[in-house]
Amino acid sequence: MATTDRAEGPAGIPRRRKDTRRSVIIVDRIADWTVTVGGLLVIIAVFGIMAFLAQVVVPLFTGGHVESRVSYVLPIHDGGTLMVSTDEYRTVGLKLGRSGAVLPFHLPSGRALSPLSLDLAGGTVTAFGRTPRREDVVLGFADGTLRFGKVRTTAEVLPADRVPAGLARIDDRDRTDGTSVYAQVPGNQVRKVTPEATLDAPIRIADDAGAIVALDYRIGGTVERPTRSFVAVDDKGTVRIGTAESRMNMMTRQVRTTTRTATLPALPAGTRVETVLMTEKADQVYVGDARGMIHRYDVRDFASPMLAESVDLLRGEALTSLYFLNGEASLVVGGGKGTTAVYFRLQQANARSTDGFTLVRAHTLAPHPAAVTAIGASQRTKMFVTGDAAGGVLVRHSTSERTLLRLASEGGRPIVAALLTPRDDGVLAVDADGRAVFWHIEVPHPETTLGTIFGKVWYEGYSGPTYTWQSSSGTDSFEPKLSLVPLIFGTIKATLYSLLFAVPVAMLAAIYTSEFVHHRVRAVVKPTMEMMASLPSVVLGFIAALILAPLVETWIAAVLLAFFAVPLSLFAGAHLWQLLPGDTARRLGGLPKLAAMFVVLGLGLILSWWLGAAFEAAFFGGSFKAWVNRDLGTGTPFLFLMLLPVSFLAVLAVANRTVGRNLADAVRALPPGVVDLLRWLATLAAAAALAFVAAELLTTLGFDPRGAVVDTYVQRNTLVVGFAMGFAVIPIVYTIAEDALSAVPEHLRAASLACGATPWQTAVAVILPTAASGVFAAVMVGMGRAVGETMIVVMAAGNTAILDWNVFNGLRALSANIAVELPEAVKDETLYRMLFLAALTLFVMTFVINTVAEVIRQRFRRRAVQL
Amino acid sequence: MTSTSIDTARARPAAGTLARVRTTRLQAIGEPNLWALGGALAFGCVMVVGFLLLVLWNGVTTFWPRPVVVVTTTDGARLAGEPFRSEVYRPGPEVLATLDEATRRRIAAAGGLAGRDLYRTGNFDVYSEDFRWVSDYAVASTAMPSGLMFVERLEWGPFIGTIRGVTVDGRAMPELKDDPRALAAAHDVARARWRQIRHIERDLIGDVNHELEAERLNVRRVALRYGDGTPEHVAALARFAERETALQADYARLAADAQGLKETDGHTQITLAEIGGAEKTINLSAVVRMYPANDLGVAQKLGVYLSRWGEFVSDEPREANTEGGVLPAIFGTFVMTLLLVVVVAPFGVVTALYLREYARQGRLVSIVRISVNNLAGVPSIVYGVFGLGFFAYVLGGGIDSLFFPERLPNPTFGTGGILWAALTLALLTVPVVIVATEEALAAVPRSMREGSLACGASKWQTIRRIVLPRAMPGIMTGVILAMARGAGEVAPLMLVGVVKLAPDLPLDGYFPYFHLERSFMHLGFHIFDVGFQSRNSEAGKPMVFVTTLLLIGLVFAMNISAVVIRNRLKRKFAGSQF
Repeated sequence: MATTDRAEGPAGIPRRRKDTRRSVIIVDRIADWTVTVGGLLVIIAVFGIMAFLAQVVVPLFTGGHVESRVSYVLPIHDGGTLMVSTDEYRTVGLKLGRSGAVLPFHLPSGRALSPLSLDLAGGTVTAFGRTPRREDVVLGFADGTLRFGKVRTTAEVLPADRVPAGLARIDDRDRTDGTSVYAQVPGNQVRKVTPEATLDAPIRIADDAGAIVALDYRIGGTVERPTRSFVAVDDKGTVRIGTAESRMNMMTRQVRTTTRTATLPALPAGTRVETVLMTEKADQVYVGDARGMIHRYDVRDFASPMLAESVDLLRGEALTSLYFLNGEASLVVGGGKGTTAVYFRLQQANARSTDGFTLVRAHTLAPHPAAVTAIGASQRTKMFVTGDAAGGVLVRHSTSERTLLRLASEGGRPIVAALLTPRDDGVLAVDADGRAVFWHIEVPHPETTLGTIFGKVWYEGYSGPTYTWQSSSGTDSFEPKLSLVPLIFGTIKATLYSLLFAVPVAMLAAIYTSEFVHHRVRAVVKPTMEMMASLPSVVLGFIAALILAPLVETWIAAVLLAFFAVPLSLFAGAHLWQLLPGDTARRLGGLPKLAAMFVVLGLGLILSWWLGAAFEAAFFGGSFKAWVNRDLGTGTPFLFLMLLPVSFLAVLAVANRTVGRNLADAVRALPPGVVDLLRWLATLAAAAALAFVAAELLTTLGFDPRGAVVDTYVQRNTLVVGFAMGFAVIPIVYTIAEDALSAVPEHLRAASLACGATPWQTAVAVILPTAASGVFAAVMVGMGRAVGETMIVVMAAGNTAILDWNVFNGLRALSANIAVELPEAVKDETLYRMLFLAALTLFVMTFVINTVAEVIRQRFRRRAVQL
Repeated sequence: MTSTSIDTARARPAAGTLARVRTTRLQAIGEPNLWALGGALAFGCVMVVGFLLLVLWNGVTTFWPRPVVVVTTTDGARLAGEPFRSEVYRPGPEVLATLDEATRRRIAAAGGLAGRDLYRTGNFDVYSEDFRWVSDYAVASTAMPSGLMFVERLEWGPFIGTIRGVTVDGRAMPELKDDPRALAAAHDVARARWRQIRHIERDLIGDVNHELEAERLNVRRVALRYGDGTPEHVAALARFAERETALQADYARLAADAQGLKETDGHTQITLAEIGGAEKTINLSAVVRMYPANDLGVAQKLGVYLSRWGEFVSDEPREANTEGGVLPAIFGTFVMTLLLVVVVAPFGVVTALYLREYARQGRLVSIVRISVNNLAGVPSIVYGVFGLGFFAYVLGGGIDSLFFPERLPNPTFGTGGILWAALTLALLTVPVVIVATEEALAAVPRSMREGSLACGASKWQTIRRIVLPRAMPGIMTGVILAMARGAGEVAPLMLVGVVKLAPDLPLDGYFPYFHLERSFMHLGFHIFDVGFQSRNSEAGKPMVFVTTLLLIGLVFAMNISAVVIRNRLKRKFAGSQF
């Protein structure tokens, strides 16, 4: 606003007009707004990241929901429902009755289409079997014959102009001509879905076969030459398996079917067979009887089938329904009291079966209130739907043991058939009165719960619950195994080992830089170390994986030796330095001493390279890789090396308390430097002896480091990752720690030195405690960097998702996993959301670490100011 | 205790008073501890310097032409190749079993180790391998005969061998074999022709295809807006049919041109023979560069060296990125970094201004400040995930359905691209700019602001004229550091639009010239891709080293320029403070 002051002065002198130009004010206003809005926008954006990640992750845990529900009554004058099925697009449902009637209906509305029927030629259907896809069926008759058939829908896509006229409208998408359903699909095309039912000629399975009471059926082979495998149980309790191979004669185009059957070993007397199932490869047959026993036959050898085991799966409860899950390795068992459990075959050492396998109950799911009467398994996942005698329908997932949806059919009548549509997006349940309910459901992530992501999960075929990450595989029936635990473990392992290497180096270097070098040296050294921070991590990863990893593999003994040789040569250098006369030492105390340290460091490295082979021969029987594989030697040498630093400190502490002071008085004759050198050597020898004795002791006690922190050597391993990560972490820890140490007020340093403390005493007793929180914050920030580092672990860590602490093995970190798998993940699918969860986990981990660091650092700043 | 006396009563006091003896125990000086500290520092420095020297040495020497060595092994076989590197290895028991007693003893004496050399033999089409290890004990003799040519080809990698014959325009010209100058001239002609073919096939035919695609999209757009079969749609279809015919004719003409040139080109060939005598005839135009490896003087070697560098920085990659240049990657890195600055500088500065100059300093602002610091520590891959999920899928998907419905279901902005990559990295680096700018703003003395306001300047005028100029060094430093960080990041880019081979640059001659939706190549990703995803990581290694050198050079140059700018501007403003 233009602030004009038109008031006249007291004496009538016109005041100077203090106008602000309008443009200035407008610009000022605009700037106000822009800056505020822009500033807030960035802050919102920044917090939006977390919210966005969480929002993508949340659907993993929300289970499922029902999009829509319709119910209608289907005619039931067909002698009872044998099977219901639907097409892939939720268009047409089929209901097959015992009389051979096939009733097609429009699934979303229940509208009946013209009925079909299978011509049974007067036979009485006594048993029924189907393939898991619900397209191929087999009927068993009272006279002991079988008839194969097809009850299915076929779909074809037509251009819009080939659709016949005069179709009756059903809903927005679908029209019908009474027989087929025409559905509008994107791209101006129409999909025509037509029901179809055919039945083959009867086959007699055996001359003496009685009425068939239970049947199952699988189709193998090729489309041109299908092999139909079946298992049939007749009313005498005889179980027969058979294969029917159809071959078309090229000349006459007649189909000849040859059937071969085998009789399985007899069931225990008095068994009343309820149901029978066989696996896809026709190698296992499961016979369920009315008392709840399952008899498993091993029929891998067609000529000599055997009864592998008979188990009471429901522990006394009546068996009311039984079917396979997708993949046909797991059995869903439904009991008379509503119990629902999943079993699969597992090879066990002490199996009580004849083939070495036993059925184990891997999952027990929430029970139904009434007997389980129908099971429908998904055709693509481990989801299934169960219906009970009281009209309840549950949609569940086997591996996660999760109940996804609780549905109910009205009327409370027993469910006789239930199915999941082929794309897992619908449930159809038919009750005894013919009332059908169709739910359009949405269950995008049935397999994930907090329990499956962070807990142990028993996957099909695994010997027990495990933490596993395996997101993809070649086979169709593969179930993704999505536990974040191995990845979090990988991240922690990489972080821990890299910090073990980086923190000591960075910290010691920071103390030296801040307390013991001339400021001009510091002006050179500090930027040099900081230069490390600007090395792109992709470069570090490349060098680590392609240059360093093969080198370390060749020179592994020398590398291990270096961990001891370098500190020892530095200590040796120091003790030799002490032999210099005091004046000379003081004169050379600056740059020459630092140069000497470089030289000694170089000597230590060369020494380890030189002695590597000898070291390997002496400690690891000449081959380190064979040693870690437990091919030779004992754990003593490695234990000795691990114990050496500890025992050195222990010996030092004991010696200082007991003989230390007296020794000095005793050997006044020698120069102090020499005495100290001798003392050091003696301590070292004593430490070595102590470490050796302790290592031997531990070995005799049966302790072996192999199998724990050291094990089989892999080229891209944690040792290499730790070293490469050092390049990323050292400069950060170094800079922040050095800043914190330098920020300690000068008067503390001066006071300590004035009181007679040496620089070393000042550094350890005054500076370090004062700066401790700042130094700790440095470690935390370094840890944050290590946790999130991606390219180094992608390239150098081997990317195997395992749970072991072996430093010579690789790892798969959260960050690397995201980088490797997210480009391939399909948007909004489970893997995509899981990777977002991985990102959120990383975010939270680093957020906690950095916040702790920040809070500590602020406390340190306050303290430094107070001082 | 062992002790050394420091200044043991050097100043002798007056007789009679007892001099206090001041001694310091040796342990109090802690010499071994100091050496441990200093050793760590030395180790850190050795790590950096060693690393840089490794990269520098490998990067600088890669393009230097090496001699070709002919190795005759003890079993009589001969191979010709560039010695690549040597190493010491541990021959396995199955290898040792094949050796004679003397060799075995020698190896045993060396601690089970033996030396071997890696030779780059080239001729992948003949040998089905590029490299061969030769153990020291298997070498009978080595020689460096003259006349061996090192031929870099467009396909199959280099060829090492001799020239058997040259055919120019269908006529055999054996004299060219011994006349390097004439051969070079013929080669230049062939290469010029090859470039012309490439120009026709890529640029001219590319134009035609682009126009055709534009017309097709136009029809689709009309169909989407007015519906199928409407008069507008019919008109558009008619126009499309007409344009299509014209463009097809153009295409046919250009294709015929290219075909004609290719036929001519096929008559100029060179026949090469490898050391074992197997011959290979290729078009002369498929030879990128050839030189007699063992007959080069230093000047000629330098020529080859510079020519290779020239190709590296100015040409496109070939052979699955393991040969040729990295121009698209340099360009992609450059454009992305530029976009990053365009986004990050204003937002970072504005946020810092808000935090420092506008917001009331209180609990909220200090929380925000902690968060900003905190975000600087969030792993870059997390930003990549966010960029993919939010920028590409949510924002990009929205833009696609609003503005490019005719291209759906093919995504335009709804997938990774250079814009999203730049935005992701901007988010990643904005804390760097905020922190640097805040520090710079805080360093401007309060008195200057007060002086300006007292003179009647508005708040914005004060900020613009007084505060911002003084804070400029800090801001520039922050922005440059953000650029350096952004240029070196790879992990998030892998998720939001970087590709191993981008067919089109983000900037070209087609309207609207800047194609922000396009995926791009990046130097850092190039390193990852060539080092880890290529057929033979050994063959790609030299390329990776040179690219690494380039990338590190770029990042360091930015870091150093940040320091230089800061110092210069600091000096400039040093005098003007009051």
